[in-house]
Amino acid sequence: MVKTFKDIVIAKSLTKKYGKKTVVKGVSFEVKEGEIFGILGPNGAGKTTTLEMLEALRPIDGGSASLDGFDIATNPEKIKALIGVQPQTPSFEEKTKLTELIEFFAATYGEKVDPMKFLEDVQLAEKADSYPEQLSGGQRQRFSIATALVHGPKVFFLDEPTTGLDPQARRNLWELVQQVRDRGVTVIITTHYMDEAELLCDRVAVMDNGKIIALDTPKNLIQALLRKGFKKQMAVEQANLEDVFIDLTGKALRD
Amino acid sequence: MNSIRKTLLPITTFVRIDVKRLFRDKVAIFFVFVFPLIFLLVFGTIFGGDNDISFKVALLNNSKSDFAKSFAESSKGDKVLRVDEKITTLDQAKAKMNRGELDATIILPEGFGDVTNGKYPSGEAQLLYDQNNESAGQTLSSVLDGIFKGINSQFVANETPFTVKAQSTATEGLSRFDYTFSGLLGFTLLSLGIFGPTTVFPRLKQRGVLRRYQTTTIKVWQYFTGNVISNAIVGLLAVALMFITALLFFDLDMRGDYFSFATITILGVTMLFGIGLALGGWAKNENQAAPLAQLVTFPMMFLSGVFFPTFLMPELLQKITKFIPLTPVIDGIRMIVTEGRTIFDIGPQLLVIGGWTLIIYIIAFKVFRWE
Repeated sequence: MVKTFKDIVIAKSLTKKYGKKTVVKGVSFEVKEGEIFGILGPNGAGKTTTLEMLEALRPIDGGSASLDGFDIATNPEKIKALIGVQPQTPSFEEKTKLTELIEFFAATYGEKVDPMKFLEDVQLAEKADSYPEQLSGGQRQRFSIATALVHGPKVFFLDEPTTGLDPQARRNLWELVQQVRDRGVTVIITTHYMDEAELLCDRVAVMDNGKIIALDTPKNLIQALLRKGFKKQMAVEQANLEDVFIDLTGKALRD
Repeated sequence: MNSIRKTLLPITTFVRIDVKRLFRDKVAIFFVFVFPLIFLLVFGTIFGGDNDISFKVALLNNSKSDFAKSFAESSKGDKVLRVDEKITTLDQAKAKMNRGELDATIILPEGFGDVTNGKYPSGEAQLLYDQNNESAGQTLSSVLDGIFKGINSQFVANETPFTVKAQSTATEGLSRFDYTFSGLLGFTLLSLGIFGPTTVFPRLKQRGVLRRYQTTTIKVWQYFTGNVISNAIVGLLAVALMFITALLFFDLDMRGDYFSFATITILGVTMLFGIGLALGGWAKNENQAAPLAQLVTFPMMFLSGVFFPTFLMPELLQKITKFIPLTPVIDGIRMIVTEGRTIFDIGPQLLVIGGWTLIIYIIAFKVFRWE
């Protein structure tokens, strides 16, 4: 799965304090170029804060981090040009056409683009003249992905992108993220849905209470658990309720 | 060269989209264009028209003389004396004066205008006015005095060695509306510059829109410049609309040149928008921004000559108001529009505007936050 082994993001003992509270406590990991890297954990584990330090949005209080060879703390502008960011709840200026927003985001990087090409990539070409407030939740997530990729970033950060989406929209978003990775973009994604992580991520880091408590491929983590003698209480069914839902309602997008 | 183009691209793109966005927003159109026009129409109607003073009077003619008849007849068409012809008795007149519907009553007594000395008509007219309306009464009695003096001279040729010729010091034909108009423009620029950004920016922050911009390579000064330019364009359009309305409906007497007028407008919008940018850029939410906006706006509204001229204020206050940001804008507009000065004649005003603009934008840069 992992195509190359060059580390594009390196975090060393990353630490973040808010007042007296340390929310990220010396986190270290490497993300390989071209992989989908998941950061998992319950709410408040420090996932978003870790992401924001890597995005050069929050000052790094301790440790260091680099992206594509550049130190993040000392090159914030360089870093911002190299990354695309998908916030937890994407929100845009109202009464603005999707094409205009794409143009504007490209312009913030000093670039002129053909907005339709980017809208086609996320299946929103027919919504070109719509305003973002007229989009459904899934459409807005897709549109947000398009705006984050206008400048051809090397690393793409997504913060809990599928929260609140219906099963069809989630599956569609996973496909989109995989397409982005197939174009050679490294993806770093946070989530608290384990099915999402298992299906999407090449490797995952599990965070709790500001620390990474496990880091490996989903498969290896599951096998490690089984080796400890773990057994599910119920026999595993060959399908689950979500499979039933998708079977009944189909995979077609509803928005 | 290429890097300059890349630096300017975020600004030009933002301006183009931001101006279009405004014209799609009905609420914004109302506040930016319609609301100031309503203000203009209301104040224009109050202060507009010819500003002649007139009095509502009743004329009770008890005389049968020809002179009295012709006086009564000629007073009907008088501009200063507007005669209520429905009133025929003294009791009616008194009742109306009590209610303040009538300023005074002129009584021509029996025998008024009769030729008694064989040479010319004579008589003494009576003027009744309510004690609460003394100033109108006094003005009227001197008006009547003037009218009778004019008539007298037709009958008795006499020398008048000393005369008074009253002349208003205001340049010719300057109406009260011309004066009020600059204040109204100042008010429009103030609300445009402050109430706009103090509601918009906190809202964008709360929705995380600005936070998303922070993840891009756009810089604060680029975002500021884009906003300033688009606001200057919109402000100029709003002012132009008010200006055309004033020219068409209120006979505004524009004496200055349009270049100076546009320049002071742009400088005013830029400075005032800076205040809104500082407040809205600092505030985390609307609850923080709204009271601050009021706190800044209201003193300016009352001390800078929006609603009444600053020269009516105590002298000490006048000295202070000169340095309030809005005052030089309104004064500058007034000097250009009503006095026909050019932008090069209003150096002191430009100096105050320039100083404030510098201070305001330094503060705005320091306190701005994307979230």
